[in-house]
Amino acid sequence: MVRVALDGKSLVVAGDRNAIVALAEERLVASGAHLLASDDAAVPDILIVSFPVLPAEDPETGPQHEIAERMAAAMAGRGHGRIVFLLSAMAAMPMRRHPGYAVGQAAALARMRGLAMRFAPAVLVNAVGVGAIGAPLVAGDAAMIGHTALGRAGTALDVAETVLFLCDPANTYLTGQMLSVDGGWSAGYGRNF
Amino acid sequence: MQVDLIGQVAVVTGGAGAIGQGIVTRLAENGATVVVADIDLAAAKAFAARVPRARALAIDITDETSIGAGISAILREFDGIDILVNNAGINSFVHRVNIDTFPVAEWDRITKVDLDGLFLMSRAALAPMTARGQGGRIVNIASVVGLAAMRLQSPFVAAKAGVVHLTRSMALELGPQGIRVNAVAPGSVLSEGTRALFYGADGRFAARTAEFMAHVPLGRPGTPEEIAEAVLFLASPAAGYVTGQILAVDGGWTAGFVI
Repeated sequence: MVRVALDGKSLVVAGDRNAIVALAEERLVASGAHLLASDDAAVPDILIVSFPVLPAEDPETGPQHEIAERMAAAMAGRGHGRIVFLLSAMAAMPMRRHPGYAVGQAAALARMRGLAMRFAPAVLVNAVGVGAIGAPLVAGDAAMIGHTALGRAGTALDVAETVLFLCDPANTYLTGQMLSVDGGWSAGYGRNF
Repeated sequence: MQVDLIGQVAVVTGGAGAIGQGIVTRLAENGATVVVADIDLAAAKAFAARVPRARALAIDITDETSIGAGISAILREFDGIDILVNNAGINSFVHRVNIDTFPVAEWDRITKVDLDGLFLMSRAALAPMTARGQGGRIVNIASVVGLAAMRLQSPFVAAKAGVVHLTRSMALELGPQGIRVNAVAPGSVLSEGTRALFYGADGRFAARTAEFMAHVPLGRPGTPEEIAEAVLFLASPAAGYVTGQILAVDGGWTAGFVI
């Protein structure tokens, strides 16, 4: 497992609660970060913004956009910060069966990239693009699995490890990017035609 | 970041170059035994001598005979390869011209190393990877110009775009064998070679660099260590469900248009 030293770093985890974000939070805290309540006035060193990773027709994500904007500006004012968006891999690749959901995810991806540009160099902003995770699924859609290179769903730990990498204090030239943890779903057609 | 690569055998092509040295160092710090594969054996030897467990190996990735001999040499010492980092690459800093006057010989020289060589090296490493029985990991060093085209370096742009898409197709083909394939796409990186290009004698950005850096959100070139950090993650077991991905480590350059 990834080990990162986050001792003394404060953390806010905002947005959707699910098994993936719970494990990411647990791993960040185990790495030394301490949780602040999301209504705390203090500006954290690390903000995790969790968007719904199980498709729903048109989930409310206004609060996620609002806190990301507000904290990015406050972090920039303070001089440093890290923000990680938890998105669906569908943010960059819509599925026909989830039209409204894909639009919302794409908007969140555009938000992430915009924040990265606007609040650089003080604040680094990145995203994890979550594919089909868990059995039963806690993220993505079962139809993704047949297109993956690895031919299976991933685990919540696979995503949490990537969150740790994006919070890695030595990872300092990476911003405005989404790294998908989707078994290769977004790489192309995982089938022999 | 620390990950567990103890007992793993890694091969880094172009391992004696600036980014290569950063990658070799980070893999070795995390326990891997690293083969510093480079066309310049003297440089590989001099560098490997300073890295715990590292070995130097001469490989010309444009030459299948040389690759075959190199892989044989690795297999005489180890029973397989766990990690291949296709880092070797070249570009021309002399011929900065449009395609109508770009020298054909330069096109051939650059694409042969940056694309053909990566293909040849990757396929040669597959049998040694599956021999270990625990899958494998390939990390290709692409470039942001493989994602966003630039003028005046057509072979480099085309070869790196080739690397980007070859990474995806390799991931799809090799996933069922448990081999993950990803790429890191560096933006501008500070090395001994680029330092003089980026900075004037006064230590400030040269005029052209300043103009260019205005388009990069972090406003500075990256370091080999920062590229290596991403390679380390993708090469580690922690990235077990990450494959076919292109991770730009570019200071936000490809996040969008800053200006």
